[in-house]
Amino acid sequence: MQDKIYLQSRSRLQDYEPIVGRSCLEELRVLAGELSGKIIQIINSTFVGGGVAEILEHMVPLLNQLGVDARWDVINGSEEFFEVTKRFHNALHGKKEKISPEDFALFSEVSERNLEEMRFYGDYFFIHDPQPVALIAKKKEIGRKWLWRCHIDVSSPDKKVWKFLRDFVADYDAAVFSAPNFAQKLPIRQFLITPSIDPLSDKNKELDSGTIDAVLKKYGLTSDKPMIVQISRFDRLKDPLGVIEAFEMVRKSIDCQLVLAGGTAADDPESGEVLEEVRRRAEGNPDIHVFLVPPESDIEINALQRAATIIIQKSLKEGFGLTISEALWKAKPVVASAVGGIPLQIKNKLTGLLCYTVEGAAYALKQLLSNPEYANWLGQNGKEHVKQNFLITGHLKDYLLMFLALDQPSDVVYL
Amino acid sequence: MFDWLTQSWLWLTQNWLHIVVPLLVFLATYVVGLWVRRIAYRAFNRWAATDKWEGSQLIIQTTRTPFIHWFLILGAIIAIHVSNLNASAEALADKVLASLFVFSLIWVVVSLSTKILKLYIGKVKRLQPSEALLVNIVRITIAVVGALILLDVWGAPTTPIILLLAAVILIAALAFRDVLANLFSGFQLAQGEQIKVGDFIKLESGESGYVTDVTWRNTQIRGLDGNLVLVPNSRLLQSTVINYGRPLRKATKPFRFYTHLHLKELTGLKASNLTELVKVLKEVPDPVIYYHTHNFLEEHHYLTPEPANDFALWVSDELGDEVLGEKLASIDTFDFPTIGALRARIEGVIRDYLSKKPDGRTAHEGREFHFIKSISFILPTPYIAHDLREFVEVLRQVSLNSLSYHIFEARLRLKKGVNDFSIWIEDCLGDKDLADRLAYLDPYNYTLESLRSTIIQLIEKRIK
Repeated sequence: MQDKIYLQSRSRLQDYEPIVGRSCLEELRVLAGELSGKIIQIINSTFVGGGVAEILEHMVPLLNQLGVDARWDVINGSEEFFEVTKRFHNALHGKKEKISPEDFALFSEVSERNLEEMRFYGDYFFIHDPQPVALIAKKKEIGRKWLWRCHIDVSSPDKKVWKFLRDFVADYDAAVFSAPNFAQKLPIRQFLITPSIDPLSDKNKELDSGTIDAVLKKYGLTSDKPMIVQISRFDRLKDPLGVIEAFEMVRKSIDCQLVLAGGTAADDPESGEVLEEVRRRAEGNPDIHVFLVPPESDIEINALQRAATIIIQKSLKEGFGLTISEALWKAKPVVASAVGGIPLQIKNKLTGLLCYTVEGAAYALKQLLSNPEYANWLGQNGKEHVKQNFLITGHLKDYLLMFLALDQPSDVVYL
Repeated sequence: MFDWLTQSWLWLTQNWLHIVVPLLVFLATYVVGLWVRRIAYRAFNRWAATDKWEGSQLIIQTTRTPFIHWFLILGAIIAIHVSNLNASAEALADKVLASLFVFSLIWVVVSLSTKILKLYIGKVKRLQPSEALLVNIVRITIAVVGALILLDVWGAPTTPIILLLAAVILIAALAFRDVLANLFSGFQLAQGEQIKVGDFIKLESGESGYVTDVTWRNTQIRGLDGNLVLVPNSRLLQSTVINYGRPLRKATKPFRFYTHLHLKELTGLKASNLTELVKVLKEVPDPVIYYHTHNFLEEHHYLTPEPANDFALWVSDELGDEVLGEKLASIDTFDFPTIGALRARIEGVIRDYLSKKPDGRTAHEGREFHFIKSISFILPTPYIAHDLREFVEVLRQVSLNSLSYHIFEARLRLKKGVNDFSIWIEDCLGDKDLADRLAYLDPYNYTLESLRSTIIQLIEKRIK
């Protein structure tokens, strides 16, 4: 079992008031009051790295500040286990993966071990992603409410893997997905809850120009020409090679530079290999900059996003794509693939530009680089869209409502 | 014993004039005093009868008895000076009598100032906490001044004491400068009578509510969310304050503002083309129709003009059918009193279109229309309005969720047929004209913020 980390919120709930307004916080307090005396046990696979851990790191302390007794635990797993779950992850995204009966057996074996070793004390169990999904076996013994939160794009999953996981998911009380097209045929209730960004986190807070310049200097970048930036984990599903291809098309007619920056996650053993591929592909092109950024570099990521002229996210598959919300929050024009939860964040031609192909991405980039006023208008709309729909306060509200909805079958609930 | 009596008699026969004359002078002064008091107080009483100042009677009552004491002291002083007492005895007697006079005067000043102070404090509602303090401050001040005069009468040095007192007063004034500022501001407020208990006021810093109390330090305002706001008097005087005066006509029942929050539930139902769309549309429950006709409006309320319903957007963007998209977008949700009627219209438009033109394109994989149900959680806010002024002020403060609940959800989803505001204004305030104006306002033509402003303007016009 990984050591439990004790989170101390860097932001106080009232710090969000100037951004979201007093009434929003008042509503959250009312909802939290309805869960008084209940324990929410949140379980995932890692405390560090990746979007899920990042959200929980901010979410759990804020729930605690609201008076909700939310506690975060992680399962234990070997390197082999996480290699298997990474392949599950890719397969759920629709990628062809070789998954043997031994892999399923390993998954079940590690899940059994976690079932024996873990302490289950919640009134609500909030299980994130496929790695700990099999913990539902405990429900037969202890009952209570169980929710499965899927952060993955399961719109066209590998049937074999989904069938294996579905048997676990069907035993939950409800499942939560990040986009409408991720919904599955399940005998349980399914909620749509989008992830969120924390506007006060290091990754999203306002930065002064001195900090931005210092980061650019550190990475050997200059702001003398437009900068296209993709911030993503080095993962084939983020299509970094496609981004380079689109950039090269743009570069033929517009002088600009490309920055590909990202990190790795503890539960993603493949990213080192992808990083090497990207570096080889970028070799010899002085306008393409590839940076491996360690997990604790949030200020640097923030600075790179703020220094960007355009932010691109050309994912082939995407859970939700929080980097889009991060970019929009900084009022940046964004070009992104219409996959996963991205269309929820980008309403084409209103809050950004959607693309489907490398050529489409190149065309959109050229449009924005040539029309800075239009790019700025999209960026401003995008910021407002994130403010209304994808901030952590809205996410907290959705989670609180979801727990309350489990006990309320009605479509209209009076609190 | 006999000798002593003999000697006393002898002394009296030799000095009787030195005794009788001062005694007569003393009695004469006393008689003059009685006469002067009679004349003077007749005049005072006539003046008091014509003067409207309440303090004049206090002066008369307080000084009437001491007035004669002062003549007695005066008589004693004159008597001593016409007697043949030696100089040192005379000086001692002067000091004693002067001290008696100072005591008497201090008593009168203390008594009079206390009564006048209480008279004025009574005019500032509930200044009780300050009454004892103020009275004591005045009493102590007068007593200190009196003590200084007495010390001066007896020839004691007073300059160091005065300097010490000045230093103490300065330090106290610095330490309690805020208190003093608020205190004086409180008196200014009371004297000006510009802000009174019961008035509805609004400060430039945003606080608003009814004045419930004016104390010597603060003015208490009860906000529309029920919270008490304490505004220091000095701040109140320094800031710009709008005083709306007394409340307007009270509603027979107050309006409680509610708000709603939505959770999206996936139905698992989807459509790839128009035929599937119209088929599922017929089957889904009302909250699904409500979601797809109001979701874009609530999520993108900052965009002007408001985008259309989800069906129109999907048909235009994903099926590429601009004509049907426009037909669906032009369905005016405001025309329909129930979700059922709205659903029938949407369904009718698509069926009509399909009857003339075969089903065209199919959406790309992953871009299908997914039917989502909205679960509505309705919760009370702390805001309550008893009249139109309170209503407007609350409306400025409530969230857009609250506004959309009372305008959109109440009318259509909760099947009230008209928005909550109109119902309350007509039923509880009896203002049918204003209720109708709000009821006929098409809220789908506005962003939520501009809808809020428009409603506020309509009501403010009515209040004026």
